[in-house]
Amino acid sequence: MAHDPALLGIFPHLDDLLAALKKVKKDGFNILTVFSPIHFSEIQEILGHKPSAVRYFCLAGGILGGVSLVGLAVYAHLSFRLITSGKPVLPWIPFVVVFFEGTVLLSVIFAVAAWILKGRLPRVRPNPAYDPRFSEDRFGILVGCRGEERELVWKLLEEAGAEEIRDVSG
Amino acid sequence: MEGLSYKDVNREILRTLSPPTRSYYLIVGLLLLAILGAACVWAYQIKVGLGVTGLKHPTMWVLYLVNFVFWVGIAHSGTLISAILYLFRAKWRTPIARSAEAMTVFAVGIAGLFVFIHLGRVWILYWIIPYPNQRTLWPDFQSPLVFDFLAVSTYLTVSVLFWYTGLVPDLAAIRDRARGFRRKIYGFFSLGWTGTDRQWHHYGTAYLLLAGLATPLVISVHSVVSWDFALAVIPGYHSTIFAPYFVAGAIHSGLAMVLTLLIPLRRIFHFEEIIAIRDLESVAKTAILTGLIVGYSYLIEYFMAWYSGNVFEKQTFLFRAVGHHGFMFWLMVFCNAVAPLLFFIKKVRTSLVWLLIIAVLINVGMWTERFVIIIGSMSQDFLPHNWGFYTPRWVELCLTAASFCLFMFLFLLFAKFLPSISISEIKEDLTPLQRGKGRRDHHGA
Repeated sequence: MAHDPALLGIFPHLDDLLAALKKVKKDGFNILTVFSPIHFSEIQEILGHKPSAVRYFCLAGGILGGVSLVGLAVYAHLSFRLITSGKPVLPWIPFVVVFFEGTVLLSVIFAVAAWILKGRLPRVRPNPAYDPRFSEDRFGILVGCRGEERELVWKLLEEAGAEEIRDVSG
Repeated sequence: MEGLSYKDVNREILRTLSPPTRSYYLIVGLLLLAILGAACVWAYQIKVGLGVTGLKHPTMWVLYLVNFVFWVGIAHSGTLISAILYLFRAKWRTPIARSAEAMTVFAVGIAGLFVFIHLGRVWILYWIIPYPNQRTLWPDFQSPLVFDFLAVSTYLTVSVLFWYTGLVPDLAAIRDRARGFRRKIYGFFSLGWTGTDRQWHHYGTAYLLLAGLATPLVISVHSVVSWDFALAVIPGYHSTIFAPYFVAGAIHSGLAMVLTLLIPLRRIFHFEEIIAIRDLESVAKTAILTGLIVGYSYLIEYFMAWYSGNVFEKQTFLFRAVGHHGFMFWLMVFCNAVAPLLFFIKKVRTSLVWLLIIAVLINVGMWTERFVIIIGSMSQDFLPHNWGFYTPRWVELCLTAASFCLFMFLFLLFAKFLPSISISEIKEDLTPLQRGKGRRDHHGA
């Protein structure tokens, strides 16, 4: 993903990162990405993410899975030519189990596919802003900035406690 | 664990991926040899036919089905620990969840293998797939065996995806510290994960959904396995308590296997700081609960046989206790219902030696339980002239032993090539490095 020139601030402390995020957002700069070693709900809250669309994919997968597996069962039962007495051709109560398994199977597959794709993965080329320390103990904010904004953002990140700031482009 | 920093967590867990010692290669090599030997035995069975086993009328479900139910049961606690305890926010799950999930994946795979072995003519497996064919054969979707196929294959898929989803951030952590070919391999499987807010956001939602979906699934799988028996009219099988009884038994065996694997793992990898005694103690406490449910089920089965007034039920349960396989029954009762009661004593459940001994006893007991249920009822059903006693042959015994070798082999590979404890989840339980501003900073920064 190519993007405009940006500044990456690397933070060792969570408090500083959260404070910097609030400040950057308040000052109206464009936060491109926040890197963190683990999931922090505070970061999501500050960035104002909407609830993930993964839920809808999961629901769609569940409906599709349940209906299609029961559809397969109905097709198989209707195609059976030999006469078997004493049993309904379409036994709906046992099909509840079939429906349940199909629902769970495809909802899980869809949920996994959704988080991967919505997270813009798989990614072949490495993210130019990524620093291996983000998978260890450091946090990062990537802020888009042009022209004179660069100085302001640099100063803001520095004052917020960034241990390292660097230019990222492309 | 409280004294660890994020960096320490990475270092402690990733050091287990360092090049293995000679003894590791030796053990893995021996296990591989045993597996190859078992493959030859299976090939022999395919060539000669199922007659080489002890499978004969009336005992048409033999050791292979015992192993199938046993391994599906073992697979249960993985999802219990990783999904159900995740939803309940039980912190003791974190250090043990990854190994338990790996155990689940391997155990379900091995369980599925026994179905193929039991089929005999495995090359015509495709006959059971529903597609238009000239044989006019279609699977019966109201059969518990088809339920079982659907449930186990769904469980395997969900377990693999759940396990893999949890692994992705950790694979990225390995990738960032690896070089050369290893970096490429881990990079490929980490999908290019960079831990952005966007990735964590969707990942967090998906993980919660997977946990929520896996929870009813874990209950359903062994319920469905129990219906393989409960929907038959054979005395000793035809019972309404089978589903909860099997689920409790499955979790019981799974918890025991978690202890059996984690206690040596903790010692070999020096995970004393991450896997605390109190985490293992929590597993033991849960095993008390499942042991009591299993013990209650044993008792209530006898009550139901007596109270029903059904002569065949009464006879089956009498034979179970004092008949041909009576020893197995009493071994089952001791290992599953009596031995776990020792966990009520704090000294026992906080002693690694006792934990391991009782866990192994429960594993033995749960395998025995499957034997008692499956073989016992089939050997002696309604008519005395239809009775017949089963003795396993060398082929079945070899393949049974090999399944344990395969399980250990896969677990050893897992422990050496993947982080056996979740790095990102352990970090979530720690206080992050903070500057202060009135908040706690245990790193002194």
